[in-house]
Amino acid sequence: MKQFRIIIGAALLLVIGSTAASAQSGQLKLDLNYNYSLPLGSFKSDLINQGSGRGFSGSLQYGINNKWAAGLGVGFQDYYQKYPRAVYQLDKTQSVSAVLTNSIQVTPIMAKGTFMPMGGKGAVQPYISVGAGASLVDFKQYLGEFTSNSKTSASFVAQGGVGVNIPFGRLSASGIKIGADYNYVPYKNFGYNNLSSVNFHAGVFFPLR
Amino acid sequence: MKKTGALLAAAALILSLGACQKDAVSNLSTEESRIYITDHDSTVNFSSYKTYSISDSVAVIDGNQSTKQLDEADAAYITAVKKYMDGMGYTQVTKNDNPDLGVDVSHIIKTSTGLISYPDYWGYYDYYYDPYYWGYGGYDYYVPYAYDVYTVREGALSIDLLDLKNAASTNKIKLVWTGVIRGEGIFNTSTADSQVKALFDQSPYLKTND
Repeated sequence: MKQFRIIIGAALLLVIGSTAASAQSGQLKLDLNYNYSLPLGSFKSDLINQGSGRGFSGSLQYGINNKWAAGLGVGFQDYYQKYPRAVYQLDKTQSVSAVLTNSIQVTPIMAKGTFMPMGGKGAVQPYISVGAGASLVDFKQYLGEFTSNSKTSASFVAQGGVGVNIPFGRLSASGIKIGADYNYVPYKNFGYNNLSSVNFHAGVFFPLR
Repeated sequence: MKKTGALLAAAALILSLGACQKDAVSNLSTEESRIYITDHDSTVNFSSYKTYSISDSVAVIDGNQSTKQLDEADAAYITAVKKYMDGMGYTQVTKNDNPDLGVDVSHIIKTSTGLISYPDYWGYYDYYYDPYYWGYGGYDYYVPYAYDVYTVREGALSIDLLDLKNAASTNKIKLVWTGVIRGEGIFNTSTADSQVKALFDQSPYLKTND
């Protein structure tokens, strides 16, 4: 999983490094964002009740016209929660007192589309986006220092997002991107049924040659 | 060129902030690393037992070798077990006074496989604890319940309650309760009491009537 993230990161850096953000009207745009994620529903109540500031997302999208773009979106988010010591009933006669820790890493890979109603004009350009694909989920649950549940699996993910692009200048095709995404992840393992979240993100966008 | 540099810096910052992962185990203190597991025979009514006897040393199980020892930490564990057995309403007697329950404390270093597997531990129980010690030479031990199989490369401490009251009538010595402590810093004199307390606190059904 770590190697996978390094590969994604290195690939994005290589792409950035090989292409000057020359503010030309390029049709292929890359964005890279820092993510803060808030778990929702039973993900929050059963697994992780704190927000996670350990995440990033990015997308590479082709401008179909000046209002619509489509492409590929990827991301990564690390969730961690340590619950105070408690006694858990393992079966009818067996109990365990333990500090329970949940450690979950989610890596979505999606087909993504973006609609910009102002057609890429203006100092602040709102957008809405949708995406769907698969999310690689690395789930580990610990009792004390012992792994009690562990599984790496893929789950469906659907995403809807809103935000704004703020170009560096009136003619610039690069700028800052700020927004939020809702991620629907119907995860079904170990009696849990969702890893859905709202992710707030801030980053940069720029055209590729 | 300036803009490219700024974008590279922003991208590197985003990746360095967002790509890190919190390690679950290294974020645990020694106390938090430990787990306390208990299991018991659900058919037993513990209020039918009144007295107990505890072995005067700890069995150290290392591979297929078993020795008895009594160092400072072992003594602290035996003292703590007595304290919490008394707290549950039982009366300590000598093993020659027909105790209702026998109490064994085991310090498991490793089993013959190099891993700790509790079914293995119970499989060798009569080897670690000769039933003769409790006055029932030739009897077999009987385990009516089974833990999930945990295997680790480190130590554990196990406390077992044996039904001696009904051994003669059933021709076997039945384990009726087991408490297992696993994790870091188990064999520690200063924390022996709190660790044994955790096992008894989560087993309120052990209480007998004085």
